[in-house]
Amino acid sequence: MSGLAEFSSAFLDVCVNISLAVLTVAFVLIVLRIVRGPTLPDRVVALDMLVAVGIGYIAAIGVQTDYFLYVDIAIALGLVGFLATVAFARFVLNRGLARDPTIVDEIRETELREGRSKANVAGSAAPQGEGAR
Amino acid sequence: MTGLFLINILLALAWGAVTGSFAEVNLLFGFLLGTMALYLIREQAGSDRYLRRFWLIFVLAMTFVYELVLSAVRVASIVLRPKIELKPGIIAYPLTVDRDFEITMLANLITLTPGTLSVDVSDDRSTLYIHCIDVPDKQATIDDIKNSFERKILEAFR
Amino acid sequence: MTPFLEIAVGLVLVIGSAFSLIATLGLLRLKDVYMRMHAGSKAGTLGSGLMLIALAVHTGEVDVLTRALAGVVFFLLTAPVAAHLLAKASYEVGYRPCSDTHIDEMGKRDT
Repeated sequence: MSGLAEFSSAFLDVCVNISLAVLTVAFVLIVLRIVRGPTLPDRVVALDMLVAVGIGYIAAIGVQTDYFLYVDIAIALGLVGFLATVAFARFVLNRGLARDPTIVDEIRETELREGRSKANVAGSAAPQGEGAR
Repeated sequence: MTGLFLINILLALAWGAVTGSFAEVNLLFGFLLGTMALYLIREQAGSDRYLRRFWLIFVLAMTFVYELVLSAVRVASIVLRPKIELKPGIIAYPLTVDRDFEITMLANLITLTPGTLSVDVSDDRSTLYIHCIDVPDKQATIDDIKNSFERKILEAFR
Repeated sequence: MTPFLEIAVGLVLVIGSAFSLIATLGLLRLKDVYMRMHAGSKAGTLGSGLMLIALAVHTGEVDVLTRALAGVVFFLLTAPVAAHLLAKASYEVGYRPCSDTHIDEMGKRDT
Protein backbone atom coordinates (compact mmCIF):
# COMPACT_ATOMS: atom_id res chain seq x y z
CA MET A 1 0.00 0.00 0.00
CA SER A 2 2.83 2.38 0.79
CA GLY A 3 4.23 1.75 -2.68
CA LEU A 4 1.01 3.02 -4.19
CA ALA A 5 1.00 6.03 -1.88
CA GLU A 6 4.55 6.89 -2.88
CA PHE A 7 3.69 6.55 -6.55
CA SER A 8 0.62 8.74 -6.22
CA SER A 9 2.39 11.60 -4.48
CA ALA A 10 5.19 11.47 -7.04
CA PHE A 11 2.56 11.42 -9.78
CA LEU A 12 0.86 14.47 -8.28
CA ASP A 13 4.17 16.33 -8.18
CA VAL A 14 4.79 15.57 -11.85
CA CYS A 15 1.23 16.62 -12.74
CA VAL A 16 1.57 19.95 -10.92
CA ASN A 17 4.82 20.65 -12.72
CA ILE A 18 3.33 19.71 -16.09
CA SER A 19 0.33 21.96 -15.57
CA LEU A 20 2.53 24.85 -14.44
CA ALA A 21 4.62 24.43 -17.59
CA VAL A 22 1.54 24.28 -19.82
CA LEU A 23 0.12 27.38 -18.17
CA THR A 24 3.39 29.21 -18.70
CA VAL A 25 3.24 28.46 -22.42
CA ALA A 26 -0.36 29.69 -22.46
CA PHE A 27 0.72 32.84 -20.62
CA VAL A 28 3.38 33.65 -23.20
CA LEU A 29 0.97 33.04 -26.09
CA ILE A 30 -1.62 35.35 -24.51
CA VAL A 31 0.96 38.09 -24.12
CA LEU A 32 1.71 37.59 -27.82
CA ARG A 33 -1.95 38.16 -28.62
CA ILE A 34 -2.08 41.25 -26.40
CA VAL A 35 0.93 42.73 -28.18
CA ARG A 36 -0.33 41.86 -31.65
CA GLY A 37 -3.82 43.18 -31.06
CA PRO A 38 -4.96 44.18 -33.65
CA THR A 39 -7.93 45.87 -32.01
CA LEU A 40 -8.82 46.99 -28.50
CA PRO A 41 -11.51 44.30 -27.96
CA ASP A 42 -8.99 41.63 -28.97
CA ARG A 43 -6.69 42.83 -26.24
CA VAL A 44 -9.51 42.89 -23.71
CA VAL A 45 -10.43 39.29 -24.55
CA ALA A 46 -6.79 38.32 -24.14
CA LEU A 47 -6.58 40.10 -20.77
CA ASP A 48 -9.69 38.25 -19.64
CA MET A 49 -8.03 34.99 -20.63
CA LEU A 50 -4.91 36.10 -18.74
CA VAL A 51 -6.98 36.26 -15.56
CA ALA A 52 -8.29 32.73 -16.20
CA VAL A 53 -4.72 31.47 -16.59
CA GLY A 54 -3.79 33.33 -13.41
CA ILE A 55 -6.52 31.47 -11.54
CA GLY A 56 -5.10 28.24 -12.93
CA TYR A 57 -1.64 29.19 -11.64
CA ILE A 58 -3.00 29.94 -8.18
CA ALA A 59 -4.80 26.59 -8.08
CA ALA A 60 -1.72 24.65 -9.18
CA ILE A 61 0.53 26.43 -6.68
CA GLY A 62 -2.08 25.85 -3.98
CA VAL A 63 -1.90 22.11 -4.68
CA GLN A 64 1.88 22.23 -4.64
CA THR A 65 2.16 24.09 -1.32
CA ASP A 66 -0.88 22.51 0.42
CA TYR A 67 -2.05 25.98 1.40
CA PHE A 68 -5.80 26.06 0.88
CA LEU A 69 -6.28 29.78 1.48
CA TYR A 70 -5.35 30.15 -2.19
CA VAL A 71 -8.95 29.24 -3.05
CA ASP A 72 -10.14 32.57 -1.70
CA ILE A 73 -7.46 34.44 -3.59
CA ALA A 74 -8.48 32.71 -6.81
CA ILE A 75 -12.14 33.64 -6.28
CA ALA A 76 -11.21 37.24 -5.54
CA LEU A 77 -9.06 37.35 -8.67
CA GLY A 78 -11.98 36.01 -10.70
CA LEU A 79 -14.21 38.75 -9.31
CA VAL A 80 -11.70 41.48 -10.10
CA GLY A 81 -11.14 40.07 -13.59
CA PHE A 82 -14.87 40.06 -14.30
CA LEU A 83 -15.26 43.65 -13.11
CA ALA A 84 -12.26 44.70 -15.20
CA THR A 85 -13.74 43.13 -18.32
CA VAL A 86 -17.08 44.82 -17.70
CA ALA A 87 -15.32 48.15 -17.19
CA PHE A 88 -13.35 47.65 -20.41
CA ALA A 89 -16.54 46.83 -22.30
CA ARG A 90 -18.13 50.04 -21.02
CA PHE A 91 -14.97 51.89 -21.98
CA VAL A 92 -15.01 50.51 -25.53
CA LEU A 93 -18.69 51.40 -25.87
CA ASN A 94 -18.40 54.93 -24.47
CA ARG A 95 -15.21 55.87 -26.26
CA GLY A 96 -16.46 54.31 -29.48
CA LEU A 97 -19.76 56.15 -29.40
CA ALA A 98 -17.87 59.34 -28.63
CA ARG A 99 -15.84 58.67 -31.82
CA ASP A 100 -12.51 58.43 -30.05
CA PRO A 101 -9.85 58.86 -32.78
CA THR A 102 -7.90 55.72 -31.88
CA ILE A 103 -10.97 53.52 -31.96
CA VAL A 104 -12.25 55.12 -35.17
CA ASP A 105 -8.91 54.39 -36.79
CA GLU A 106 -9.04 50.78 -35.65
CA ILE A 107 -12.56 50.38 -37.00
CA ARG A 108 -11.56 51.88 -40.34
CA GLU A 109 -8.69 49.41 -40.45
CA THR A 110 -10.95 46.42 -39.80
CA GLU A 111 -13.36 47.71 -42.43
CA LEU A 112 -10.54 47.97 -44.93
CA ARG A 113 -9.44 44.46 -44.07
CA GLU A 114 -12.84 42.81 -43.99
CA GLY A 115 -14.97 45.25 -45.95
CA ARG A 116 -13.84 44.31 -49.42
CA SER A 117 -15.63 40.99 -49.39
CA LYS A 118 -18.55 42.52 -47.54
CA ALA A 119 -20.28 43.33 -50.83
CA ASN A 120 -20.53 39.73 -51.97
CA VAL A 121 -21.85 38.44 -48.67
CA ALA A 122 -25.09 36.86 -49.79
CA GLY A 123 -28.26 38.41 -48.47
CA SER A 124 -26.55 40.40 -45.80
CA ALA A 125 -27.67 43.91 -45.14
CA ALA A 126 -25.83 46.97 -46.34
CA PRO A 127 -22.94 47.63 -43.97
CA GLN A 128 -23.36 50.58 -41.71
CA GLY A 129 -20.57 52.88 -42.80
CA GLU A 130 -18.74 55.31 -40.61
CA GLY A 131 -21.21 58.03 -41.41
CA ALA A 132 -24.20 55.97 -40.28
CA ARG A 133 -24.19 57.41 -36.81
CA MET B 1 -44.50 27.15 -4.00
CA THR B 2 -42.33 29.45 -1.84
CA GLY B 3 -44.29 28.22 1.17
CA LEU B 4 -43.14 24.68 0.58
CA PHE B 5 -39.58 25.86 0.11
CA LEU B 6 -39.73 27.63 3.48
CA ILE B 7 -41.14 24.48 5.07
CA ASN B 8 -38.24 22.56 3.58
CA ILE B 9 -35.74 25.01 5.06
CA LEU B 10 -37.56 24.81 8.37
CA LEU B 11 -37.27 21.02 8.27
CA ALA B 12 -33.55 21.38 7.62
CA LEU B 13 -33.18 23.71 10.62
CA ALA B 14 -35.20 21.28 12.74
CA TRP B 15 -32.86 18.51 11.68
CA GLY B 16 -29.91 20.67 12.68
CA ALA B 17 -31.48 21.41 16.08
CA VAL B 18 -32.31 17.77 16.75
CA THR B 19 -28.88 16.47 15.80
CA GLY B 20 -27.18 19.35 17.62
CA SER B 21 -25.01 20.54 14.75
CA PHE B 22 -25.53 23.44 12.39
CA ALA B 23 -22.59 22.63 10.15
CA GLU B 24 -23.29 23.21 6.45
CA VAL B 25 -23.10 19.56 5.56
CA ASN B 26 -25.50 18.55 8.28
CA LEU B 27 -27.95 21.26 7.24
CA LEU B 28 -27.68 20.13 3.63
CA PHE B 29 -28.38 16.58 4.71
CA GLY B 30 -31.36 17.83 6.72
CA PHE B 31 -32.59 19.67 3.64
CA LEU B 32 -32.41 16.47 1.62
CA LEU B 33 -34.23 14.60 4.38
CA GLY B 34 -36.89 17.31 4.39
CA THR B 35 -37.30 16.96 0.65
CA MET B 36 -37.73 13.23 1.12
CA ALA B 37 -40.35 13.84 3.82
CA LEU B 38 -42.22 16.18 1.48
CA TYR B 39 -42.01 13.48 -1.16
CA LEU B 40 -43.68 11.02 1.19
CA ILE B 41 -46.65 13.32 1.79
CA ARG B 42 -46.79 14.63 -1.76
CA GLU B 43 -50.43 13.73 -2.26
CA GLN B 44 -51.70 15.30 0.95
CA ALA B 45 -49.58 18.47 0.85
CA GLY B 46 -49.64 18.95 -2.90
CA SER B 47 -45.86 19.09 -2.98
CA ASP B 48 -45.73 17.18 -6.24
CA ARG B 49 -45.17 20.23 -8.42
CA TYR B 50 -42.61 21.64 -6.00
CA LEU B 51 -40.50 18.49 -6.12
CA ARG B 52 -40.91 18.28 -9.86
CA ARG B 53 -39.57 21.81 -10.23
CA PHE B 54 -36.64 20.94 -7.99
CA TRP B 55 -35.87 18.01 -10.21
CA LEU B 56 -36.19 20.07 -13.39
CA ILE B 57 -33.86 22.77 -12.09
CA PHE B 58 -31.38 20.04 -11.21
CA VAL B 59 -31.70 18.61 -14.73
CA LEU B 60 -31.16 22.10 -16.15
CA ALA B 61 -28.01 22.56 -14.08
CA MET B 62 -26.69 19.19 -15.21
CA THR B 63 -27.44 20.04 -18.85
CA PHE B 64 -25.54 23.27 -18.33
CA VAL B 65 -22.40 21.50 -17.11
CA TYR B 66 -22.66 18.79 -19.77
CA GLU B 67 -23.01 21.34 -22.57
CA LEU B 68 -20.10 23.36 -21.21
CA VAL B 69 -17.81 20.34 -21.37
CA LEU B 70 -19.12 19.45 -24.81
CA SER B 71 -18.57 22.97 -26.11
CA ALA B 72 -15.07 23.21 -24.66
CA VAL B 73 -14.19 19.94 -26.40
CA ARG B 74 -15.72 21.19 -29.62
CA VAL B 75 -13.82 24.48 -29.48
CA ALA B 76 -10.70 22.45 -28.77
CA SER B 77 -11.27 20.26 -31.83
CA ILE B 78 -11.81 23.36 -33.98
CA VAL B 79 -8.70 25.09 -32.69
CA LEU B 80 -6.46 22.05 -33.03
CA ARG B 81 -7.42 21.44 -36.65
CA PRO B 82 -4.46 22.17 -38.91
CA LYS B 83 -6.57 24.37 -41.16
CA ILE B 84 -9.40 26.42 -39.75
CA GLU B 85 -12.23 26.71 -42.22
CA LEU B 86 -15.36 28.04 -40.62
CA LYS B 87 -18.50 29.81 -41.67
CA PRO B 88 -19.29 32.13 -38.79
CA GLY B 89 -22.42 34.25 -38.75
CA ILE B 90 -24.72 36.32 -36.60
CA ILE B 91 -28.25 34.94 -36.58
CA ALA B 92 -31.48 36.31 -35.17
CA TYR B 93 -33.16 33.92 -32.77
CA PRO B 94 -36.88 34.45 -32.06
CA LEU B 95 -37.43 34.23 -28.31
CA THR B 96 -40.33 32.37 -26.76
CA VAL B 97 -39.41 33.17 -23.18
CA ASP B 98 -40.18 36.76 -22.27
CA ARG B 99 -39.25 37.37 -18.64
CA ASP B 100 -35.94 39.11 -17.97
CA PHE B 101 -34.71 36.35 -15.73
CA GLU B 102 -35.43 33.67 -18.30
CA ILE B 103 -33.82 35.65 -21.11
CA THR B 104 -30.68 36.12 -19.02
CA MET B 105 -30.63 32.42 -18.24
CA LEU B 106 -31.09 31.45 -21.87
CA ALA B 107 -28.44 33.93 -23.05
CA ASN B 108 -25.95 32.55 -20.53
CA LEU B 109 -26.72 28.98 -21.52
CA ILE B 110 -26.33 29.83 -25.19
CA THR B 111 -22.96 31.44 -24.60
CA LEU B 112 -21.69 28.35 -22.84
CA THR B 113 -22.93 25.92 -25.50
CA PRO B 114 -21.08 24.68 -28.56
CA GLY B 115 -20.28 27.37 -31.06
CA THR B 116 -22.80 30.00 -30.04
CA LEU B 117 -22.40 33.32 -28.23
CA SER B 118 -25.25 35.67 -27.50
CA VAL B 119 -24.45 39.20 -28.59
CA ASP B 120 -27.55 41.32 -28.06
CA VAL B 121 -31.25 41.35 -27.30
CA SER B 122 -33.53 43.52 -29.39
CA ASP B 123 -35.26 46.33 -27.54
CA ASP B 124 -38.69 44.68 -27.66
CA ARG B 125 -37.21 41.48 -26.18
CA SER B 126 -38.43 39.34 -29.05
CA THR B 127 -35.13 38.55 -30.71
CA LEU B 128 -31.79 37.35 -29.46
CA TYR B 129 -28.81 37.94 -31.72
CA ILE B 130 -26.38 35.04 -31.59
CA HIS B 131 -22.91 34.83 -33.04
CA CYS B 132 -22.20 31.30 -34.26
CA ILE B 133 -18.67 30.15 -34.86
CA ASP B 134 -19.78 27.75 -37.57
CA VAL B 135 -23.25 27.94 -39.04
CA PRO B 136 -23.77 26.00 -42.25
CA ASP B 137 -27.52 25.81 -41.61
CA LYS B 138 -29.19 28.62 -39.74
CA GLN B 139 -32.51 26.92 -39.13
CA ALA B 140 -30.87 23.80 -37.68
CA THR B 141 -29.09 25.90 -35.05
CA ILE B 142 -32.29 27.72 -34.10
CA ASP B 143 -34.24 24.45 -33.84
CA ASP B 144 -31.48 22.95 -31.74
CA ILE B 145 -31.66 25.72 -29.14
CA LYS B 146 -35.47 25.76 -29.23
CA ASN B 147 -35.71 22.06 -28.52
CA SER B 148 -33.11 21.75 -25.80
CA PHE B 149 -32.59 24.84 -23.65
CA GLU B 150 -35.63 26.96 -24.16
CA ARG B 151 -37.92 23.99 -23.56
CA LYS B 152 -36.03 23.03 -20.40
CA ILE B 153 -36.14 26.59 -19.06
CA LEU B 154 -39.85 26.82 -19.74
CA GLU B 155 -40.41 23.51 -17.98
CA ALA B 156 -38.37 24.46 -14.95
CA PHE B 157 -39.63 27.97 -14.33
CA ARG B 158 -43.25 27.93 -15.45
CA MET C 1 -5.72 11.81 1.21
CA THR C 2 -6.02 8.48 -0.53
CA PRO C 3 -3.66 7.64 -3.38
CA PHE C 4 -6.46 7.38 -5.93
CA LEU C 5 -7.76 10.82 -5.02
CA GLU C 6 -4.26 12.18 -5.42
CA ILE C 7 -3.95 10.69 -8.90
CA ALA C 8 -7.36 12.09 -9.83
CA VAL C 9 -6.34 15.56 -8.62
CA GLY C 10 -3.19 15.40 -10.74
CA LEU C 11 -5.12 14.34 -13.84
CA VAL C 12 -7.75 17.07 -13.38
CA LEU C 13 -4.98 19.67 -12.99
CA VAL C 14 -3.35 18.58 -16.23
CA ILE C 15 -6.68 18.48 -18.10
CA GLY C 16 -7.60 21.93 -16.79
CA SER C 17 -4.31 23.46 -17.85
CA ALA C 18 -4.62 21.75 -21.25
CA PHE C 19 -8.00 23.44 -21.75
CA SER C 20 -6.43 26.77 -20.83
CA LEU C 21 -3.73 26.22 -23.41
CA ILE C 22 -6.32 25.26 -26.03
CA ALA C 23 -8.29 28.42 -25.29
CA THR C 24 -5.10 30.40 -25.76
CA LEU C 25 -4.37 28.69 -29.07
CA GLY C 26 -7.90 29.60 -30.10
CA LEU C 27 -7.21 33.19 -29.13
CA LEU C 28 -4.19 33.16 -31.44
CA ARG C 29 -5.56 31.22 -34.38
CA LEU C 30 -9.15 32.35 -34.80
CA LYS C 31 -9.81 35.22 -37.12
CA ASP C 32 -11.85 37.94 -35.48
CA VAL C 33 -12.68 39.19 -32.02
CA TYR C 34 -16.08 37.49 -31.92
CA MET C 35 -14.65 34.08 -32.70
CA ARG C 36 -11.84 34.59 -30.20
CA MET C 37 -14.46 35.21 -27.55
CA HIS C 38 -15.83 31.72 -28.17
CA ALA C 39 -12.50 30.18 -27.25
CA GLY C 40 -11.92 32.41 -24.23
CA SER C 41 -15.35 32.12 -22.68
CA LYS C 42 -15.75 28.34 -22.99
CA ALA C 43 -12.47 26.51 -22.85
CA GLY C 44 -11.00 29.18 -20.56
CA THR C 45 -13.82 28.93 -18.03
CA LEU C 46 -13.71 25.16 -18.02
CA GLY C 47 -9.94 25.17 -17.57
CA SER C 48 -9.79 27.47 -14.57
CA GLY C 49 -12.91 25.89 -13.04
CA LEU C 50 -11.40 22.40 -13.24
CA MET C 51 -8.17 23.54 -11.65
CA LEU C 52 -10.01 25.28 -8.81
CA ILE C 53 -12.01 22.11 -8.11
CA ALA C 54 -8.78 20.10 -8.13
CA LEU C 55 -7.33 22.42 -5.48
CA ALA C 56 -10.45 22.08 -3.33
CA VAL C 57 -10.48 18.29 -3.57
CA HIS C 58 -6.79 18.23 -2.74
CA THR C 59 -7.30 20.11 0.53
CA GLY C 60 -9.99 17.59 1.45
CA GLU C 61 -12.00 19.97 3.63
CA VAL C 62 -15.68 20.45 3.12
CA ASP C 63 -15.81 24.20 3.68
CA VAL C 64 -13.03 24.74 1.14
CA LEU C 65 -14.87 22.51 -1.31
CA THR C 66 -18.11 24.48 -0.95
CA ARG C 67 -16.21 27.74 -1.38
CA ALA C 68 -14.49 26.45 -4.50
CA LEU C 69 -17.80 25.20 -5.93
CA ALA C 70 -19.33 28.61 -5.26
CA GLY C 71 -16.38 30.16 -7.07
CA VAL C 72 -16.83 27.86 -10.08
CA VAL C 73 -20.56 28.67 -10.24
CA PHE C 74 -19.60 32.32 -10.07
CA PHE C 75 -17.20 31.93 -13.01
CA LEU C 76 -19.84 30.06 -14.96
CA LEU C 77 -22.28 32.92 -14.42
CA THR C 78 -19.86 35.77 -15.12
CA ALA C 79 -17.93 34.49 -18.13
CA PRO C 80 -20.95 34.63 -20.50
CA VAL C 81 -21.93 38.05 -19.15
CA ALA C 82 -18.47 39.44 -19.76
CA ALA C 83 -18.29 37.96 -23.26
CA HIS C 84 -21.77 39.24 -24.07
CA LEU C 85 -21.00 42.78 -22.86
CA LEU C 86 -17.79 42.94 -24.81
CA ALA C 87 -19.34 41.51 -27.99
CA LYS C 88 -22.23 43.93 -27.75
CA ALA C 89 -19.95 46.90 -27.13
CA SER C 90 -17.64 46.07 -30.03
CA TYR C 91 -20.56 45.47 -32.38
CA GLU C 92 -22.30 48.71 -31.43
CA VAL C 93 -19.11 50.69 -31.87
CA GLY C 94 -18.65 49.20 -35.33
CA TYR C 95 -15.95 46.54 -35.26
CA ARG C 96 -16.93 44.32 -38.15
CA PRO C 97 -16.82 40.53 -37.97
CA CYS C 98 -14.33 38.90 -40.33
CA SER C 99 -15.11 38.47 -44.00
CA ASP C 100 -15.99 34.78 -43.64
CA THR C 101 -19.11 35.79 -41.74
CA HIS C 102 -21.81 34.88 -44.21
CA ILE C 103 -24.93 35.80 -42.25
CA ASP C 104 -25.28 39.04 -40.34
CA GLU C 105 -28.83 39.53 -39.26
CA MET C 106 -27.88 42.11 -36.71
CA GLY C 107 -26.86 44.49 -39.45
CA LYS C 108 -30.41 44.44 -40.83
CA ARG C 109 -32.11 45.93 -37.84
CA ASP C 110 -32.57 49.66 -37.44
CA THR C 111 -30.12 51.04 -34.97
